[in-house]
This record gives sequence, C-alpha cells and structure tokens, in this order.
Amino acid sequence: MQDLEKPVANPLVVLREEFDDWAVLFDPDTGNAFGLNPIGVFVWKRLDGHHDLKDLVKDVREHFEDVPNEAENHVQNFIQTMAQRGLVGCETLK
Amino acid sequence: MTMPVMRTPRSVDLAITNRCNLRCTYCSHFTGAGDVGQELSKKEWLRFFQELNRYAIMKVTLQGGEPFCRNDLKDLIEGIVENRMRFNILSNGTLITDEMAKFLASTRRCDGVQISVDGSVPITHDSCRGEGSFFKAMQGINCLQKYGLRVSVRVTIHKHNVLDLENLARLLLEEIQLPGFSTNSACHLGLCKQNADQVQLSVEERSLAMQALQQLNKKYNGLISATAGPLAEGTTWLAMETAHREGSEPLPERGRLSGCNGPMSQLGVRADGVMVPCVQLSHMDLGRINHDDLGEVWRTHPELTRLRERRSISLNSFVYCQGCNYINYCTGNCPALAYEVFGQVNHPSPDGCLKRFLETGGRLPRLSDTNQ
Repeated sequence: MQDLEKPVANPLVVLREEFDDWAVLFDPDTGNAFGLNPIGVFVWKRLDGHHDLKDLVKDVREHFEDVPNEAENHVQNFIQTMAQRGLVGCETLK
Repeated sequence: MTMPVMRTPRSVDLAITNRCNLRCTYCSHFTGAGDVGQELSKKEWLRFFQELNRYAIMKVTLQGGEPFCRNDLKDLIEGIVENRMRFNILSNGTLITDEMAKFLASTRRCDGVQISVDGSVPITHDSCRGEGSFFKAMQGINCLQKYGLRVSVRVTIHKHNVLDLENLARLLLEEIQLPGFSTNSACHLGLCKQNADQVQLSVEERSLAMQALQQLNKKYNGLISATAGPLAEGTTWLAMETAHREGSEPLPERGRLSGCNGPMSQLGVRADGVMVPCVQLSHMDLGRINHDDLGEVWRTHPELTRLRERRSISLNSFVYCQGCNYINYCTGNCPALAYEVFGQVNHPSPDGCLKRFLETGGRLPRLSDTNQ
C-alpha cells in the first residue's frame, strides 16, 4: 500500500447493503457492481483517509471472530483490487 | 415461507409525467389508475432523488406518459446523475432531437432508451399510434444511435401488425441493425380495454403471432426477447405442455402465484408522487414521496408484504384452476392483469392461461419452430 497508505473510498461509489451484512458496491459511472461480504463492508466503511492497513486489520480482528493470520494480506488485496477498479484512492496533498 | 427482502429496492420506475403527445389505442396508461391528471414539479422530483441516493437506489426508469414531454427533463436527469444513479427511458421516440440525444450520451449514465416500434412501415405502426409517428420514431432512433446510445425497441403486437412481424424483424435487426428487440402484446389495461375489439389479438391471431415469432427467433438466433405476449407465452406454454405430456415433476416455483418478482427488487412512483408496487398496479397506494419514507414503505407496508407473500398461495386453492392439467407448471401469471379481470391481485390471470387458450381454439407453435 505504498500509494494507498490511508485509502479513501471513492465518494461516487454507492454502497448498497442488501441482505444482513452483505452488500453491493455500485459504480454508477460504469454500471459495474461488486459483491461484498460482511468483512468487506466493514473495511469499506473505514476507508476514510484516516486508517492505514494496520488500523484496518486491527479493527477487523477486534470486530470479528476467528480472523485468520493472513488477514493483513486479504485486506491489502481487497484494497488494491478496489483501487484497480477505481473504487478506492488516496487523498493527495496540494 | 418467508422470502428475504432487501433493505431497499434496487431500481425505481418513475412516471415523471402524465402527458403524452400520442394516444395509442392500446395504451396501458391512459384511463388506468396511473392516469392521475397531474404531475410533480421538478423541485419535488429532485428532492426525491436525494432520498433515492440515501437509500442507494442504483437505477431509475423514466416513463410516463411520454418522458420527453417534460421541458425540464434535462434538469431531472442531471439530478439523477448528481445522486449517483443510472437511468433508462421508455419512450415513443417521436420527440427525441439530436440535441437531446447528445445530452443523454454526455451524462454517461444512460443505460438505454426503449422506443416503441409497432410496424415495418407507417401504415402498420401508425394504425394504433397516429399518423406521422413512424417516421418520427425512426428519426428518434437515428439520433440515439448517432451518439452511441443503446436503443432497445419494444414491439407491441396487435391486430394491425400481426402479419407484419417478418418485415418488422428485418427492419429492426438487418436494416437498423439493433442488437435485438423485445415484444409484448396489447393487453387488457388502460385504453386497450375500451378498444379491445379493434386492437387485441384474437385466439387465432395469437396463435399466428406465436408461431411467427418462434420462427423468427430461430432465424435470428434468439435476438428477439419477451417477458409477456405471444413469444413469451409460446415458449412458456410449450415447456408446460412438454412437462405435462412427460408427466414431469412440478417445475420450480410453479403451482403457486409466482408470476411476478417485481415487488422483491423494484418499486414504482405515479406521476402524482404516489408510490406503487408497479406502474401496472397503480391503484395500490403505498404512500407519497417526500412525505412517506421510502425505506419504511418498502420494508413494512402491509400491501407490499401481501404482494410478496402472493407466491406462497397455491393455484389449487382457486376454483378457476380446478381440473387443470397444467397446474404444477403454471405461475398464475401477471397480478395486474388478474386485478383488471377479477378485481383482485391474489388470483391467477386468465390472460396467460394455457388451458383457456387451448379450450378456445388456440394452437401452440411447433417445437421444431423454436429456438430450443
């Protein structure tokens, strides 16, 4: 996460919580939609430019049970995938 | 049996106007419950779009009346874009200008514009839609295509175009080069109820349309689609007939009033701002936008809940269905048409009844003519 130290969710992207804690991320500019599991939703809601990867993983561990050891990799991959799709970025200093 | 319901609808159908520049003789809107004689101001729609944004609605379908009758349509569409939604439009195509098509394309949020085309030549198209409407609709399609917008055509089949289907398919798929088109038929709603003898297909015409559409769909490799009308009926009824003949187990979700999934994912709003389960069920007043909370209505309104639970009602419980060989393979069809005939939503619709169709002399298409 060199370029995404404190990632920010693209504010144009819609988080649609549909059933239980599952959700869909909808990009209205492309019409693409991506399913999110409850952990994905939890992480997405914390992509506010104030949390880095360690904060996010710490929060996940505190909130969910039986979080695997490789959680950090999973969260990092999730954020990078979202960034590749234009759904996540980072705030830049002007 | 309780079906899980999502927190809010994914899409909302918006009758943004009650006006139309045409008076098609089979129009399902005029004289129906959705014909409310008034429409909301731009300000009220824009306020509602903010609520749709808060509830993460993904898409709206603009319809009417004729959406392009609204002089402030661009402002409404800008409101949709600002509120993170995509949109599509249902139109007769006659008011679409080059400038409007350019604007729609510029939003990059338009999923498509559906244009009604009922004939390959003016005489068939205009027979129910009014003189001059064919050429204007073609011009509208041309404008949309020029700017790369997705055009979907809906063909409503009636007495005056049932023998024009082959030419119509050639026009739409070969000359205009659309990626496909959809069909339905004039049905017992709105103005069609008054003009049924002049427009609605007889059993013989319905059989002809079914056969012709199956053959055309085979010829064009499935580019013709339908969720209602002769093409859909032909496909569904053939499957039901085959299942009955082979003594198959009941088909999934069949044998109950399962003919409509709309209330599980979408909602409608009349031109006067009244929320309804579907624009074809405009008599069911669920509340008023900007006064009643959309999420609350969606989750808790008893009429909507009742409509969702409709699919648990067995067709065996209806006198109408007793003795029917197809009961285990039937969905009971559209609740709006059931309401129009029987005055109740929780009833099978006779319009889509295979048994009735056959008893009145209807013929199913040959299996060899289908795309199966």
